[in-house]
Amino acid sequence: MKQAVILAAGEGQRLRPFTVNKPKTMLAIADKPILQYVVESLAQNGIRNIIIVVGYRREQIFDYMGDGEQLGVNIVYVTQERQLGTAHALMQAKDIVEDEFLVLPGDNLIDADTIAQFVTMQPDAMLVKKVEDTTRYGVVTIEGDMVQNIIEKPRESESDIINTGIYAFTREIFSFINNELDIPDVINNMISQGYKINARETDGTWLDIVYPWDILSLNDAVLRKIPANLGGTIEEGATVKGLVSIGKDTVIRSNSYIVGPVVIGTNCDIGPNVCILPATSIGDNVVISTFSGIENSVIGNDVHIGPASIIQDSVIGESCVIRGHFAACSDEVEVRINDEHYPVNVGAMLGVGCNLGNGVVAQPGVIVGNYSRVQAMKLISGKLPDKSSVF
Amino acid sequence: MCGIVGYTGDKQAQPILFNCLKRLEYRGYDSCGVAVAVGGIELYKDAVRIEALAKASPKFKGTTGIGHTRWATHGAPSRDNAHPILDCTGKIAVVHNGVISNFQELRDQLTGEGHNFASETDTEVIPHLIEKYYDGSLEEAVTAALNDINGSYAIIVLAADKSELVVAKKDSPLIIGLGDRENYIASDVPAILDYTDRVIYLEDGDIGVVTKNDVKIRRDGKEIAREEHKVMWTVEEAQKAGYEHFFLKEIHEQPKVIRNTLGEFTRETEQAVDLVGIGGRGMESILMVACGTAYHAALTGKYIADELLRVPVRVEIASEFNYYSHTLARTVAIAVTQSGETADTLKAMRKLKEAGCRVVAITNVVGSTASRIADQTIYTRAGPEISVAASKTFIAQLMVLYWLIMSYSKADARRLANLLMELRQLPSKVQQILDNEAEIIEHARYLSKYENVFFIGRGINLPVAQEGALKLKELSYIHAEGYAAGETKHGPFALLGGNTPVIAIVAKDNTYDAMLTNIKEIKARGSPLIALAEEGNEAIEELADSVIAIPQVDAIFSPVVNTVALQLLAYYTAKERGCPIDFPRNLAKSVTVE
Repeated sequence: MKQAVILAAGEGQRLRPFTVNKPKTMLAIADKPILQYVVESLAQNGIRNIIIVVGYRREQIFDYMGDGEQLGVNIVYVTQERQLGTAHALMQAKDIVEDEFLVLPGDNLIDADTIAQFVTMQPDAMLVKKVEDTTRYGVVTIEGDMVQNIIEKPRESESDIINTGIYAFTREIFSFINNELDIPDVINNMISQGYKINARETDGTWLDIVYPWDILSLNDAVLRKIPANLGGTIEEGATVKGLVSIGKDTVIRSNSYIVGPVVIGTNCDIGPNVCILPATSIGDNVVISTFSGIENSVIGNDVHIGPASIIQDSVIGESCVIRGHFAACSDEVEVRINDEHYPVNVGAMLGVGCNLGNGVVAQPGVIVGNYSRVQAMKLISGKLPDKSSVF
Repeated sequence: MCGIVGYTGDKQAQPILFNCLKRLEYRGYDSCGVAVAVGGIELYKDAVRIEALAKASPKFKGTTGIGHTRWATHGAPSRDNAHPILDCTGKIAVVHNGVISNFQELRDQLTGEGHNFASETDTEVIPHLIEKYYDGSLEEAVTAALNDINGSYAIIVLAADKSELVVAKKDSPLIIGLGDRENYIASDVPAILDYTDRVIYLEDGDIGVVTKNDVKIRRDGKEIAREEHKVMWTVEEAQKAGYEHFFLKEIHEQPKVIRNTLGEFTRETEQAVDLVGIGGRGMESILMVACGTAYHAALTGKYIADELLRVPVRVEIASEFNYYSHTLARTVAIAVTQSGETADTLKAMRKLKEAGCRVVAITNVVGSTASRIADQTIYTRAGPEISVAASKTFIAQLMVLYWLIMSYSKADARRLANLLMELRQLPSKVQQILDNEAEIIEHARYLSKYENVFFIGRGINLPVAQEGALKLKELSYIHAEGYAAGETKHGPFALLGGNTPVIAIVAKDNTYDAMLTNIKEIKARGSPLIALAEEGNEAIEELADSVIAIPQVDAIFSPVVNTVALQLLAYYTAKERGCPIDFPRNLAKSVTVE
């Protein structure tokens, strides 16, 4: 297997506000977009011929991945203008795929080891995984090593094996894509016509991202494996413990206390007297002012956090400007997405470019839309749309 | 990024090497060279463009050879420092992309052993090490040499008496292109796509021997097989990374360019540039010279300096400046030139040097002529720009000017702290405009139907109006004028009317009220009016026919966001009109004639 098709055209509507301006695959986990982990995993397995199916906000992918040279691969882009389904996405690559190829979702975090177990398989094959909660996935029935069928999001399921969306196909697949929009339907179709689809179960890393708070759990999982790297300047009196990665040109000022796993990007200005606890990712060009404390959170590029702010279990989008004394403390709350309620432990989720005055208090579970403005001393809660003004 | 290429087969190697090097031009370079095995080694290299090298070089008769493009990061671009680099005997030649971290140590050791070094490069230790270990087998000598080396490399080694090339890779890219009774080697696939689409990707730690009929790759001494890949795209497609045009790709690179530049500025170890010079006379005034888009960057610098530096700044178009003979103030001079080769700017610089001025150059090309004339050079970190119309290099020039001027700023501490905070936000503000492309595309469709457009601005946004007009005319061939809003009454008003749209750049600074009055006057003359204004400005929304919303920034940074919006406007207008965007008619990227 030498070629892979990565499906990266989707929006990730349930991840709003974070996916208003970028596709789901470009959400940063531990300072790298999810898609980069997929590409790196392929490269580590010697698969360097990569087709990425792009669509929604594709420029973000072009700008970051380029032609792939930085990652040691060659990337060709094909566009899926309307995101109708995975099989429809794959069809866009029909003219340029070789006889055999892998298909992977660009929005799942996949380890090199996970792919290594799979690349030796003969097509057609599907990578499956055992999970506790099958409700968001396609459940796979297997006999021997062969897939019997796939049922999407069944209310009740007899199997705890789900489809990871990672496949090995031959060009034959295209003759089974008629009006089917999704790959599982195509596979059911193939099976009914007597085709054999091998199932290979993996115990490697495969993490899905569906809701904003999934960013935190993925971040936690990835940070455990980052390489430690102390770039930049660490001033005397600052303490750095555990697995910590600090980018070049970043300054950690005196009396700051950092406990890994933590990743901090390039050109940041942290401290003095700032406390960063596990499992936190901080982007590039971020300022965190005196006496602030951050824990289990993801902070985007270009963010400014004023003095004496407390941020727990939170996601702060790129280029937010937060003045002093911001409180985003975590608690178990019910968060509503598309009329469904989810109990989660979470602090605040701020979209990109928000501007918060001094002394703003965020209720746990608040989701603030992109480019919102909040006046000093306000309490924010619930779900605020993009460009909200809180006065 | 340096680029390396190699060829072995039945054909003459030299012309193929030149062509492959041409295909690597997009990586940027300042010098280049080739070497061919002809029994001995024939070598020709210099700090010139590939065309010039190909023209000047003697013809070498040989079918195995290597080539290199060098993009100096430290150490001057010169003939000696260009690759290929030879050993003492002149029988081994090496091209290298990467950095040898223990080269000083190795160099001292090799010098002690009697080797003579001819260049300042880290690379040169490689041919000397190979020479030291060479005992008939080039592959074994290269393997032994690499054992001594720390750092990153992609190398191709040529020996005088062999028709084979030895290659090795660690942390720098290297591929082998497979032909019929011939094989190619290159840093990147586009270099060889004219000849073959069958490619092997080398992995870190691989050492290979390439002959015309065979490729053998070893890893830790054991021979291994690397799979052959078929390349399914064209050279151009690859370099544009998904985009239809380089210009749009380069516009989209601007948030990254700003972020890279900021990293450079805030690095505490880096000293601010010395504008005054040791033993200088103090900074009483600044003279800036430039052409084209760079001239607009310089004009913007004048307003930045007025606010923060409080020193009189004179900005001159370089070609015009060259006609002055009696008023060359002895002052600090800043020359802005993307290529560093703009003939008019170079002439002005030489003249200023003769007059005793301290000359600082702002350029994107390391080792360019401008950097050699200047007392000090500040490099913009924009990377190579392919599109003839400048975009990211203009923004990078602005960023350098902000940095330069802010490091001498006379503004109070509070204002400066605020500006620094805003500066860090700029990449995201620019991204916000890119994300809002759809709105600009609509305006472009509208604009594309007209043949005359006015851009007006005041204060720091006057140069933005001029740059917006320049972009529109060079890309879409629409006649466009950038005008000081206050001057429009003195003549241009005669041109207003339903067929002449006006684009007004509105900033929330001391020009705001006057700009509103201008807009009312223009509306009264029946011209369609598009305003570039901060989002949520209701007064403007009421007055203008339509508004392109710009994210809120301090007025001093408004040229950055406004220019990006106007670049997109020009791009999509040109696209709507079906113009050849990356290579407009009658224009060249660097203007090396007066």
